[in-house]
Amino acid sequence: LRFRKARASPVSEPALFEQQLVNGFTLGLIYALIAVGYTMVYGVIELINFAHGEIYMLGAFLTMSFVSMGLPLPVAVLVAVVATAGIGVLLDIVAYRPLREAPRLAALITAIGMSIFLQNLAMIIWGSRPLPFPKQVLPAFFDQPALTFTSVTISWMQLSIYAVAILLMIGLNLIITKTRVGTAMRALAQNRTAAALMGVSVNRVISFTFAVGSAMGAVAGIMVSVYYNTMYPTMGYLAGVKAFAAAVLGGIGSVPGAMLGGVVLGIAETLGAGYISSPYRDGVAYAVMICVIIFRPSGFLGRSMVEKA
Amino acid sequence: MLLATLGLAVGLMAGPARAEEGTIKIAAPAAFTGSAAGYGDNIKAGVSMKVDEINAAGGINGKKLEVVFFDDQCEPREAATVSTSIINDPEIVGIVGHLCSSAHLAGLPAYVREGIPAITPTATSVAISDKNKDEDGKVWSFRNVYRDDFQGKFLADYIDKVMGLKKVAVFYENNDYGIGLKTAFVQEAKKLGLTVVGEEAYKKGDQDYTPQLTKLKAAAPQALFVAGYYQEGALIADQAVKLGLDVPKFGADGFDNADYIKLGGKATDDTYLTAPFLAETAGPAAQKFIEAFKVRYKRDLDWMSANAYDATGLLAQAIAKVGPDRAKIRAYLAGLTTPEKGYKGITGNNYFDASGDCLKPAFVKVVKDGKFVPAAKQMQ
Repeated sequence: LRFRKARASPVSEPALFEQQLVNGFTLGLIYALIAVGYTMVYGVIELINFAHGEIYMLGAFLTMSFVSMGLPLPVAVLVAVVATAGIGVLLDIVAYRPLREAPRLAALITAIGMSIFLQNLAMIIWGSRPLPFPKQVLPAFFDQPALTFTSVTISWMQLSIYAVAILLMIGLNLIITKTRVGTAMRALAQNRTAAALMGVSVNRVISFTFAVGSAMGAVAGIMVSVYYNTMYPTMGYLAGVKAFAAAVLGGIGSVPGAMLGGVVLGIAETLGAGYISSPYRDGVAYAVMICVIIFRPSGFLGRSMVEKA
Repeated sequence: MLLATLGLAVGLMAGPARAEEGTIKIAAPAAFTGSAAGYGDNIKAGVSMKVDEINAAGGINGKKLEVVFFDDQCEPREAATVSTSIINDPEIVGIVGHLCSSAHLAGLPAYVREGIPAITPTATSVAISDKNKDEDGKVWSFRNVYRDDFQGKFLADYIDKVMGLKKVAVFYENNDYGIGLKTAFVQEAKKLGLTVVGEEAYKKGDQDYTPQLTKLKAAAPQALFVAGYYQEGALIADQAVKLGLDVPKFGADGFDNADYIKLGGKATDDTYLTAPFLAETAGPAAQKFIEAFKVRYKRDLDWMSANAYDATGLLAQAIAKVGPDRAKIRAYLAGLTTPEKGYKGITGNNYFDASGDCLKPAFVKVVKDGKFVPAAKQMQ
C-alpha cells in the first residue's frame, strides 16, 4: 500500500530515467560477475568456456538444494559456491586439460558440449520446470526499500547485490594484482611457455583460475535466482551469451574490462528497452557492443592483439 | 530388377512390423525439454490417460493404440524436424499436437502437403486457420481450443464490462502467441473505448522485465494485461509488485498452470485469466477423470491435460469409425460440423467450423490467497 501515492500520478520523466538506470545497473553488475569468469579463463588459456553459463546455473540450483536440505542460508551459499568452484575445476581437468595442446577449435567445441551436458544433467536432477527460490529463508526486509529518493526506490536486495558484486570485484582485483598466484595468472596470460620455464605450476594456476571464475559465476547465479525468484536448467544460456558479449565489449582477457562491459551492457539494454523499443531490447544491447567493437576492436580495456602475436 | 528388390525390401520392412504388433500409431509432438517442458508434461499426462483407458478397454477394434511422443521444445526449427519424422512414418495415422502455436505453424506445411490430420489441444494462434488447408481446400489441422482473438476479445470485454476498468497496459511475449493475443485485445479495447496506455514486448525466457514495467507503471494503468505464458508471467507479476505496479493482472490460457502461483508467490494474487476448462463447473464424467488424474499424477488437473485427453479421444473415435487411414480420418473430423455430431468430451462438446476451429465458451478464474478459484462473475 505504500505505493499508492506513486501510482496516483504518473511518474515524471527524469525520475523514470533514474529508475531505469537503477534497473540497468543491477542487471549490469550481474552480467559483470558472470563476464569475469569468461574473461579470466580466456586470459589464461585463450578458451571461451561456453559451459560457464551452466556453472552460473548450478550455483543457483545447488544453493536451493542445500537450503531444502535444511542448511541455514549463509552455510548453503558457502557450500554451493565451493561446490560450484570444484565443478569448474573438474570441468577443466576432465574436458579441457586433455586438449590443452590440441587446436583451439577442439576445446571450443568441447566447451559447447559440456554446456549441453551440464544443462541436461540439471534437467535430470531437478526437472525441466522452473523452480522458485525458497523465499522463506531470506530475511524479510530484503524486499523492503532501503533508499528512497523522490520516486526511485532501491530495495535491500538490490543494495545487497551492489555490495556483494563490488566487494567481490575489488577482492578479485587484489588477488590478481597483489598475490603470487595472481602474478602467476598474469604471467600465464602473457606467455605460457615462458611462465612454465620460470617455474610456474601451469595446471595449478589454471585450476585456480577456473575455481575463482566459477565461484564468481555461482554467486551471480545465486543472486539472480533470489532477485528474480526463479531458476531453471536453461537459464545459463542467455545469461552466458550476454555475459560473453559483456566480456568482449570490455575487452576479452581484461578483468576490469569485463566489469565495465557488464555494467555498460546492462544499462544499454535497459535504456534500449525503456526508450527505444522493447521487442529489440537485446538488439540494442548487441548494437552498442558492435559499435564499440568497430571503433575499438579489442574492447574498452582489451590488450591490443599485437602484444599477443 | 533393382526396383523389384527395393520394393521387396520395403515390403519386408513395413510388413512384419505392422502384423507383429497389431497396433495403431498416433504422434504427440510437444515440448518435453526447454522452457515450455512443463506444458509438455501436461499434454503427455492427458494423452497417456486416454490411450491407457482405450487400451484397457480392448483398444480400437481389437488393436492397441500406441502413442509416440516427439520433443519439439516449442521451437519452430525443432518442430520442422519433428514434422518430417512424423510424415515419414507411414504407420502414424494422426497427430495430437503441437503444443505451441509457433511450433504448430512450423509443422503445418508438412502435414498439409503430405496429408496427415492433426488436432491441436492447445495452439490458439489465429494464423493456423489460414494455413491449415491444402490446394483443394481440405482442412488438415483441427483444434479443440479457442483462438487467441476470442480470448483477447473476451478479456477486453471482461475488463470493461465486469471489472469496469478503463486504462489498461499491455505486456506481450514477442512471438505468434503473444502478438496474436495482444492484437485481438487491443482491437477490442479500442472499440470499447478503453485507453491502452502502453504496449511493451518481452522475449521468452527473459528474467528481467523491470525496464518495460517501469515504463508501463509511469503511464499509471488500472489493469495489466500480460499476453504470454506462466513462467514469464509469474516473474512479471513479482517484478511489477516490487516496482509498485500493484494493479489487477489479466492473462489468457498460457497462465493457467499451478506453477504460476508457485513461482510468483503472493504477487500473483488478483490475476484474472481465461480458462477453456473449469473443473468446478464440469460435468460428472469430468469429475471422475479429475479424481483419476489426481491419483495418478499427484497434482490437480489443468486445462491442457483435459484438452489433450479430449483431443486424443476424438482422434481415437475417428479411427474407430473409419479405420487407420489418414485421409479418411481427416474427412471424418471435417464432417463434425454441428453440435449434434460433436464429440462430447470432458471439456464440453467438440465440433468444428469450416476452418477446423472450435468455439467453446471461456471461463474466468482468479488467483486468491495463492489459489485459483472461479471468478465471482463469469461472462458467457
